[in-house]
Amino acid sequence: MLGIIFGVASVITMLSIGEGAKREAIAKYQDLGVNNIIIRDKKMTDTELEEVRAKFSQGLSPEDASMIKEIVPGVVRIASQAEISSEAKYSDKSAKSTVIGITPEYTEMLNYKIERGKFIDDNQYKKELKVCVLGAGVAASLFRSEDPIGKMLKIEDQWMEVVGVLKSKALFTETVGELAARDLNMDVYVPLTTFLGRFSHENQLASKIQQITVQVDGSDKLEEASKVINEILKRHHYNNEDYSIVVPYELLQQEEKERQIYNFLLGAIAAISLLVGGIGIMNIMLATVMERTREIGIRRAIGARKSDIMSQFVTEAVAISITGGIIGVLLGVTLSLTVSLFTDITTYIQPYSIFIAFGFSVLVGISFGYLPAKNAANLKPIDSIRYE
Amino acid sequence: MLIEIKNLSKDYVMGEVEVLALKDINLQIRQNEYVAIMGPSGSGKSTFMNILGCLDTPTTGEYLFNGTDVSSLTDDALSAMRNKEIGFIFQNFNLLPRLNALQNVELPLIYSGVKSEERRERALKALGRVGLADRIHHKSSEMSGGQRQRVAIARALVTNPGILLADEPTGALDSKTGDEIMVLFNELHQDGNTIILITHEQEIADHAHRTIFIKDGMIHSDNKNELNHKTPVFIQS
Repeated sequence: MLGIIFGVASVITMLSIGEGAKREAIAKYQDLGVNNIIIRDKKMTDTELEEVRAKFSQGLSPEDASMIKEIVPGVVRIASQAEISSEAKYSDKSAKSTVIGITPEYTEMLNYKIERGKFIDDNQYKKELKVCVLGAGVAASLFRSEDPIGKMLKIEDQWMEVVGVLKSKALFTETVGELAARDLNMDVYVPLTTFLGRFSHENQLASKIQQITVQVDGSDKLEEASKVINEILKRHHYNNEDYSIVVPYELLQQEEKERQIYNFLLGAIAAISLLVGGIGIMNIMLATVMERTREIGIRRAIGARKSDIMSQFVTEAVAISITGGIIGVLLGVTLSLTVSLFTDITTYIQPYSIFIAFGFSVLVGISFGYLPAKNAANLKPIDSIRYE
Repeated sequence: MLIEIKNLSKDYVMGEVEVLALKDINLQIRQNEYVAIMGPSGSGKSTFMNILGCLDTPTTGEYLFNGTDVSSLTDDALSAMRNKEIGFIFQNFNLLPRLNALQNVELPLIYSGVKSEERRERALKALGRVGLADRIHHKSSEMSGGQRQRVAIARALVTNPGILLADEPTGALDSKTGDEIMVLFNELHQDGNTIILITHEQEIADHAHRTIFIKDGMIHSDNKNELNHKTPVFIQS
């Protein structure tokens, strides 16, 4: 029975780990946008920057964005953003944050949910108003329980009015391509027009904008679009590779592929465990049948048919495997919860996995109980009764 | 005619030897007869009993039970015959040790498909008939040999079988208990049951009204027991 318990428990635990990883990945890529192509300004040393500028590339610019919008097929919308690291100050508090200048399309493209107030609108963008929207972390650091809406924040030497606060977001725990790990909750959003007018990068040679996000109208368009984008940028940047193109969907696919290998391995381990468990049950049942030869003979003598004997023993085998299955399910669920509590690994128990695992244990009982049961049923009554 | 056996032979192979266990047996047994079958070991009487009890089939010949040719029945049909028409009583009782008396007696009815209420009723009645109404929840290990044999008899009776087939029913009992069991058999015979007794003891065979001697696979003699001291003479109507 141990084999069954272990097999079922491992199926459930592994499935939950796999599902947890999958959901994490999806959530992560959901934020980046599944139909998006993200073009990043490459991080370079000063020397590298000088070189690239000397070779005529201006880095990522609003012109790149407009060319992409015009030429690339399947583009639904495009958003540009510029970034600097800075401190946001409110009365006596300050918070280290990334100030991001964005275009209005931003809201529709990415998964940002507003907690209070409103996001930046077209009007504020057009008029280059000095407004800002805070990430949940910044709002918490600077305002605690106060309502941030309407208050004035100082960024660099500029006073900005808070018009909105975002809901808290899942953190990037690893670097995705060129998208450096960053706590998105510590971002402060301002209109790109305002940004370009009032904030400047530390380094004079830095590119005007740091990221262009391109949304296409279907994941099947991604491959072609990113090829075209690459051509456009290559030309516009005079063959300088000072940008990188990240397609989150491709990364998701990649991870999915890796996960499939993982899942396959898990499946193999679970299958082997269940097999071992099944063989164990079969051996127990074979021994049981031998021990009860006389009993089987007596039952046959008083009128049991072969099928009666078969169902009796198959039922007993299933009873063993179901018991193992139940214990295995309990063990598997406990393990999953323990793993997620005490490690970084997230787990997610899907109800269907419990049914599958349980179903398998029943199947194992029936399959591996069949042979011993058949042996029992085929015993000749006369001989069985005399068996000591 | 309850049992008709015509030209019945049985042979089987044991290792490299072919054993001719029964040779051309012819026999008739009527309803409500009380027959003893005697013979030395190796005479074929056990083989004969197995065939009578539908535990085995003859090689050639016919075995008609109530007109049905048993020799050509399928395995399931034979099981049904054993269930409904044959009441086995063994020398060492052969009760299922993990079941109590009531459950043991109910078992044949379970295989007949009888519903649980009726089952319980009939089992209780059978146990009452053999005098064990106060022991129904006891297991084998909690009963004496005589009591166990009574449970086995109750189990044999519970399906209202055509024959009671008893193989050395007192072989594992002391003489006093053995006598009590034989008294019970007499009562059952008077109730109308057909009893076939297999024994090697003359004393036990004397309880029956007819004795058949088997030797070397053939019927040696087949006589009525006129002088029957242990049983009141039973006049058939």
